[in-house]
Amino acid sequence: MVLFAIFSVILVVTALGVVMAHNPINSALCLITNMLCVAGVFAMLDAHFLAAVQVIVYAGAIMVLVLFVLMLLNVKLESPKKRSMTFVFLCIASGILFLYFGVPLINNTFKIFPDLYPSFSGTMESIGKVLYTTYIFPFEASSILLMAAIAGAVMLAKRKVHGPH
Amino acid sequence: MVPISYYLTVAAIVFTIGAVGVMVRKNSIVVFMCIELMLNAVNVSFVALSRVHGNLQGQLAVFFVMVVAAAEAAVGLAIIISVFRAIQSVETTDSSELKA
Repeated sequence: MVLFAIFSVILVVTALGVVMAHNPINSALCLITNMLCVAGVFAMLDAHFLAAVQVIVYAGAIMVLVLFVLMLLNVKLESPKKRSMTFVFLCIASGILFLYFGVPLINNTFKIFPDLYPSFSGTMESIGKVLYTTYIFPFEASSILLMAAIAGAVMLAKRKVHGPH
Repeated sequence: MVPISYYLTVAAIVFTIGAVGVMVRKNSIVVFMCIELMLNAVNVSFVALSRVHGNLQGQLAVFFVMVVAAAEAAVGLAIIISVFRAIQSVETTDSSELKA
């Protein structure tokens, strides 16, 4: 419970940091911390394989890519913006969105959801068994998707733009 | 033992923060990061519900979400670089016209 409290506080604070930081580099660093905490939550939920993959793929690969692009483009700081009516409206709308999903959860804490299933583990062995038998077709399809993404990314980033400069 | 609805509540909070970020931020890389934030929140609730029901299909869904997110990161950042080359900016308000 203490561990969960620590993780959830860090999750919410770093999520706010991603949205509110003026420097995009700080946003990226907050997001890395957030993803590491998500990996911790996965480990608490006995999803060991996903915790490892979260650290390797998200915090390792994807965020390195994002940071690389941030450094490459060398964007200037976003100026502190005025709190316009649109901003207030969006905050209220998202508050309603949260209440719509959150309040039923908080109210029915022990009614809807049963206790945790006993003796359950998402180890690499159990995930691999399901992945290579029942889900073999989506697994292979995802490899084709990654292949297409590699080719598409190379084509998009390589193309010379002949527009006005 | 932590009740499962606590996990779901934290996931809902993080998802809402990510949704606000997508709507209020102008830097397209930050918008991209907020989308990753929302994906992560949904992944947490997938894993929590998978743990409740004691089957692995939620975790498999998270696995495929991660695959798609990796592909999306590669293509999305390539598009951002491409747009930056064309208009010298990553602000979403600067790329409001479709002609290059």
